[in-house]
Amino acid sequence: MMTTATTVLFVDDDRDFLESKKVYLEARGYRVLTAESPDAAMATLEDETPAIIFLDLMMEHVDDGFRLGYRIGKDERLGHIPLVMLSGVAAETGTRFDGEAGGLREWSRLTRFLDKPVTGQQVLAVIEELAVA
Amino acid sequence: MSEGSILIVDDEYGVRSGIRTILEMDGYEVGEAGDGAAALEALKERDYDVALLDYRLPDTDGLSLLQTMKQRGCEAMVCMITAYANIDTAIAATRQGVDFFLPKPFSPDDLEGVVATLLRHKLARTEADRLRAEHEASLLALAEEKTQTHSLVSSLRDAVLVVNRDGDVVLANPPMLDLLERGDDEVLMRPATELLGGGALAPLGEQLAAPAKDRTVRQLELGEQAYMASIVTFRDEAGEARGRILTLSDISEVRRLAMEKQKFIRTMVHELKSPLGSIKGLLEVVTDKSLGGDLDPYIPMIARADHRIDNLALLIRDLLTLARSEQTQEGEEPELVPVAPVLDGVVELAREHGAQRGVTVTTELAGDLPPALIRPDDLQLVLSNLVGNAVKYNRDGGSVTVRGAIEDGWLRLEVADTGIGIREANLTRLWDEFYRETRDETRELEGNGLGLSIVKRLVERAGGRLEVASIEGEGSTFSVLLPA
Repeated sequence: MMTTATTVLFVDDDRDFLESKKVYLEARGYRVLTAESPDAAMATLEDETPAIIFLDLMMEHVDDGFRLGYRIGKDERLGHIPLVMLSGVAAETGTRFDGEAGGLREWSRLTRFLDKPVTGQQVLAVIEELAVA
Repeated sequence: MSEGSILIVDDEYGVRSGIRTILEMDGYEVGEAGDGAAALEALKERDYDVALLDYRLPDTDGLSLLQTMKQRGCEAMVCMITAYANIDTAIAATRQGVDFFLPKPFSPDDLEGVVATLLRHKLARTEADRLRAEHEASLLALAEEKTQTHSLVSSLRDAVLVVNRDGDVVLANPPMLDLLERGDDEVLMRPATELLGGGALAPLGEQLAAPAKDRTVRQLELGEQAYMASIVTFRDEAGEARGRILTLSDISEVRRLAMEKQKFIRTMVHELKSPLGSIKGLLEVVTDKSLGGDLDPYIPMIARADHRIDNLALLIRDLLTLARSEQTQEGEEPELVPVAPVLDGVVELAREHGAQRGVTVTTELAGDLPPALIRPDDLQLVLSNLVGNAVKYNRDGGSVTVRGAIEDGWLRLEVADTGIGIREANLTRLWDEFYRETRDETRELEGNGLGLSIVKRLVERAGGRLEVASIEGEGSTFSVLLPA
């Protein structure tokens, strides 16, 4: 029986982060795509339809993650893909960030927030729960 | 014993000595004069409490002498003595300021009675004068205090409004009038609720009219500005509320700084947490044995983790430098630092770094270059950051030139490179903490975005300024201008 590997996309400007998640997940049979910028991510998504996408919130701009989420979310072909936002500042900015997050989450169709640093184990658990077939 | 000084003015020696004997026995100090001129002389010598004047004197008469005495500021009580007493003379004398009239002949008892009475009057008059002077002084002081309070309140930068117990405005200083966009005459004795009503200040009007507490503080927005509003009730000695004072302090700048600090901390947390996440991820791969049991494939990842730790240490060092550059510590005074030796050390290191990529570093210092007035460590940090950047953001085989010259009284140190340059739109953000221009050319280059922030603060702390000129793809020139 042939099974196609589940494809996961990571968008983050930290190359070491991308590298570690790629190795960790590939060891478990996933196909891992990486993009270092929102533009690179959109380019990758022209040919690919991953089962889940992990986005870093703060890349070149503080809200790059939200913008990219919005672009993906409104795309007819990509709109259904679960989006997981990774942020190192969710906890620090506290209520203010969370207060805004309701609207922003809806706007950018985010499925979940994960507070950095995020381990491979956490990522794996989220993929198993959310990834679309 | 009695106290008091008496001047006797009489042309008859016998009368004078008689009076003197009686009064001296009572303990008074006594002076005497035989005519008007002698009397005036005696009064030049000292003051007397009481003067006994004979009506007839060889050179003048008692009343004329009295006028002269008064004109010269004599404040003695005056008793006129005369053998030619009649009711008309007495009335005339009293009108002209004589306090008592003693007809000759008189008994020692009469004399003592008159003197004692006049001294009592004199004492009462002195006391009354003193009280009046005191009262006048305190009225003057009060007026002065009122004026002082008024000028003090007027000169305050905070907007101040004072209302009486009925809530009517009794004082509004110029900043308050500006805020209310009204003139002094438009606000005085008008109800504060009416003046503040309607807009953003309405809640303050209500509080001024009926404050819940003696002291309330709240924040409010007025257009672009943020204010701290405080209302204080002032009471008299009996505890009765006399009125209230509203003070509005502009806290926009404080708030802007607080928000800037908040943003700085958020970015700093991001910059500290990102590498930690990456290091953790890299190590997780090793402990997970994601690449199998052989160690070799992990070595590059461990080396990366190690490198990230080094960068974190550098970041922390730079954060400390940044924090230190905000304050001036004792014993860190600027000195006159010769530029060449510091620059030589910086350039030597830059040449080592540049050599691998064929980047050359040259210096062109004017022969008569004066020393720079700056802390020696700061000059080293400024130059090493700028020259280091010039090498880092250069192209292979490029060049860096450091020039030093005097220009319009400033010491100008210029670091020019032939590197990738900076986009014009990004030039203003260059000095922001953590800012790094994100371009394909910079993606591979490491940095924490603090270098130029540090340079800016150190140069400004030395009273200098920075200039930058850049053309994307051709190179940048950073100039440091220090007081020479």
